[in-house]
Amino acid sequence: MTRTARCAAALTSAALLLTAAACADGTTPAADSGGAVDQSAPVTITIGDRPTPDKPNDIAAFDRNVKKFMTENPNITVKSTETKWDAQTFQAQVAGGSLPTVMNISFTEPANMIPNKQLPDITDELKLVDLTKDLNPQTLKIVQDDAGRIYGVPIDVFSVGLAYNRALFTQAGLDPDKPPANWDEVRQYAKQITEKTGKAGYAQLTKDNTGGWMLTTMTYSLGGTVQSQDGKKSTFNDAPTKKALQLLKDMRWTDNAMGSNFLYNQEEIRQDFAAGKIGMVLQAPDAYDMAVKNFGMKPADYGHGALPQDGGPHGTLTGGSLKMINPKASKNEIVAALKWIKSQDFDKYTNEQLAVQNAKETIADKGFVGRPGITPLSQATYDQYNKWREPYSNVPVKQFQGYIDSTTSLKLLPEPSNKGQEVYALLDPVVQQVLTKKDADIDKLLTDAASKIDARLAR
Amino acid sequence: MALSIRNDAQSRRGLLTWYRSGGLSAIFFALPLVLIFLYFSWGPIVRGLVLSFQKNNLVTTPEWVGWSNFSYVLADPQLPQATLNTLYFAVLALIFGFPVPLFLAVFISELRTTGWLYNVLSYLPAVVPPVAAILLWKFFYDPSGTGVFNTILGWFGIDPLSWLNSPNLAMPAIVLEATWAGAGATAIIYLAALTGVRTELYEAAELDGAGIWSRVWHVTLPQIRGIILIMMLLQLIGTFQVFTEPFLFTGGGPDNATTTILLLIYRYAFINGDFGAATALSVLLAGVLCVLSVVYHFLTRRWSTT
Repeated sequence: MTRTARCAAALTSAALLLTAAACADGTTPAADSGGAVDQSAPVTITIGDRPTPDKPNDIAAFDRNVKKFMTENPNITVKSTETKWDAQTFQAQVAGGSLPTVMNISFTEPANMIPNKQLPDITDELKLVDLTKDLNPQTLKIVQDDAGRIYGVPIDVFSVGLAYNRALFTQAGLDPDKPPANWDEVRQYAKQITEKTGKAGYAQLTKDNTGGWMLTTMTYSLGGTVQSQDGKKSTFNDAPTKKALQLLKDMRWTDNAMGSNFLYNQEEIRQDFAAGKIGMVLQAPDAYDMAVKNFGMKPADYGHGALPQDGGPHGTLTGGSLKMINPKASKNEIVAALKWIKSQDFDKYTNEQLAVQNAKETIADKGFVGRPGITPLSQATYDQYNKWREPYSNVPVKQFQGYIDSTTSLKLLPEPSNKGQEVYALLDPVVQQVLTKKDADIDKLLTDAASKIDARLAR
Repeated sequence: MALSIRNDAQSRRGLLTWYRSGGLSAIFFALPLVLIFLYFSWGPIVRGLVLSFQKNNLVTTPEWVGWSNFSYVLADPQLPQATLNTLYFAVLALIFGFPVPLFLAVFISELRTTGWLYNVLSYLPAVVPPVAAILLWKFFYDPSGTGVFNTILGWFGIDPLSWLNSPNLAMPAIVLEATWAGAGATAIIYLAALTGVRTELYEAAELDGAGIWSRVWHVTLPQIRGIILIMMLLQLIGTFQVFTEPFLFTGGGPDNATTTILLLIYRYAFINGDFGAATALSVLLAGVLCVLSVVYHFLTRRWSTT
């Protein structure tokens, strides 16, 4: 290398380092973080998740909302983009600094983003716009650090329960208003359904990472965990997961109550469930939408109970989405963004007229009003909101009673925080082997899986 | 000395003629194409090679890690099974999948009048988009007694098979679909080769009293053996890269019975976000395929027509 070349190389690498440093710096809250908030100063924010052109009705509603919001808040200018959360590209967007001021992301993100300082602390601003008091303290934990500071706003929450076919229950001589409450009952019901109707009494998700996902759910319901608190080690190689797998093995091989398909992903299992081939399956209640709207299930046949427990109420797996705010946003932008979030995702809960209008629009778009879920707000607010919308409800809410009761009684347990999807992927074959190989050795399967997963968690 | 002067003058004159006859514009004409080809065709290959020596999640600054990606993927307990599965697929495809299009092509070429109809029928599966075809076959493979194939088996008093749900049957089932999907397109290539076989040879064979089988054996096959050898190599390379079928049919299951090397690469990259490991395994696979091609070339040189 000549001297000039060496010089140039040194300069280039110095420039690169500087750029890298600048990038790293950009992810911490911006310069005016100490300054006071001026709620009337002109501010511009960018909103992600604008509906795509194939949904003209949604775009019209979105534009209407933006216009209304800007009239009510004349100092705030709202721009929008179609940027939306995608596990494959999200980290690149964060690194590239191309995020809008506000967008939806999954519950799986904050656990890694908060310690990386990729989310701004919005605790004080939340108080300014009067949102904190309404938020559900259980779900709020997902966006809080150890000190209780808040880094995002949960807007949509699901938890897993047990979807069941009421018609098959009736045919099998079971009471469709009484879904099984514990795993022993699940097994017994499944057997009875298969004996009386010839259909699969119970079916399990097994592929495309859903096998591991649902094994985790079952483990939670039996009082176990899948990963240590710090995410560095697997913890499933103990009694609860073994019990879950033994239960599946018994239902499959002893009772022969699980039908003949053991390769199911989310869509495939919902399809067979809607077609009346499955008696019971673990699902979040949004399964109703797809089963009824896409696969033509009769609403009267759909039932949704709590996640069955064993040895005490342990809890249920939960997920959902939250609104994140760009870590580079200034204080004024954060307040403007929270005002937008409040008007879009929360005002409908506290304003009767908005709640009703929202319900009517949903029905016009062939959507569902009144399908139970978990509230991102306090229970009282959520109950009030549901009451306003009750006259427009087009979902048989009574058939979700078991699930509804569980939303307040069961603890919400988040998914594994470190490499959750990888862990799920490596647990898929474990569940598959138990269901397709009669002599599967559960202890050995779990020991093998644990050693594989621990190697991945350490990498 | 004299010789070299003459050579010099000759080459200078050659350069001049080349320039005068528009050689430079030819280069300008070809250059963008060559550059585009280099960038888009070879760029990713080189980049992949670089990536295989890095710890890189495409977000943070890449970090050079030497051979550690390679040792990581080679030590992965899933690799032996994925390799065996891939080899198993290749062998099954060779035994069952390879003769089918050849047979189809010979059969169609023997039909003088309605050949076009069979031609269309055999090529049709190649027109169906692979994803649609696989979804359709999934329906055929329904493991319950009411599934299409199981209903047919039922007519003969055979118990329903669990097809994709059985670790033993899943791979053969996938090969069956892949053969169905690929046979038509390959048969077309054989048909094209068959039209190049001189008809005198058949006439001579017929005069010698050769029947149809003996004509196929002694005339057709030897005449198109060059194409057969090439197709076999292409199929080998293709089967080592099987992805779509196991991905959509079984997701690699049940119990990893259909996890192929490419599926493993996909998981490294898109589930684990570990692009270093994914490219390292890809590079290894590419290396093995190169060696395989060379060995194949030398093994079959004796039979090759060229």
